[in-house]
Amino acid sequence: MRRFYLFGFLLLMAFDTLAQLSFKLAGSHALPVTADAAWLARVFAQPWVYGAVAGYIGAFFTWMTLLRHAPIGPAFAASHLEVVSVMLLSAWLLHEPLTLPRVLGAATIVAGILCLAAAERETLVVAPGPAG
Amino acid sequence: MTPLILGLWIANVAFDTVGQLAFKAAASGTEEDGGLAHWRAMAMRPWIWLGIGCYGVEFLVWIAFLSLVPLSDGVLLGSINIVAIMLAGRWLFGEKLTGLRVVGIGLVSLGVAIVGAGG
Repeated sequence: MRRFYLFGFLLLMAFDTLAQLSFKLAGSHALPVTADAAWLARVFAQPWVYGAVAGYIGAFFTWMTLLRHAPIGPAFAASHLEVVSVMLLSAWLLHEPLTLPRVLGAATIVAGILCLAAAERETLVVAPGPAG
Repeated sequence: MTPLILGLWIANVAFDTVGQLAFKAAASGTEEDGGLAHWRAMAMRPWIWLGIGCYGVEFLVWIAFLSLVPLSDGVLLGSINIVAIMLAGRWLFGEKLTGLRVVGIGLVSLGVAIVGAGG
């Protein structure tokens, strides 16, 4: 069962990462940003926007399946830890340097997400107890 | 951050939060538990359509936002949505903010501030 969760969490992160990379590439190929139909046409004319939709749909169904079986705390964390995978892939594929503010900011955000995930686990464990 | 980037970032937080809360409002308060009847009851509520509308707009806002900032900064700055939704959940649904949640919200906010100040 533990292997099932781990696979699910990794799949969720992979779908989220695919979606974010696709969002970025869809936007970059549709520059400049203008509030008109021409910008919409540029966005939907190239394949990346559909990669973003596919990533979102994949993440949605993985999330719903995970929620049915996995504890909410780790599932919550996994659904937000893609910030790390996206940052690493951006450094590799988009040549965005791993600057100090990015690494420090990411570490702080991840610490916060882990606290929030632990808080979810706390409520799950405490709530059904006889003293709760 | 240019005014356009800042405006898109704020719009993203706003649409994401309203969308999530609308979905929450649509999902809670239906009597039917699970199955097709549950989905049918939700589809009759205006809340679900507000949520879907918000997500549609957010989809475009997010693409525009990411096209103007490095992707690393974009996803890190987007983490503020977690904070906004938790605060809104407490305000509207009376969800409890325990000690660990307050620490988590503080850390996520601090991390977003570090990225925002450095980017």
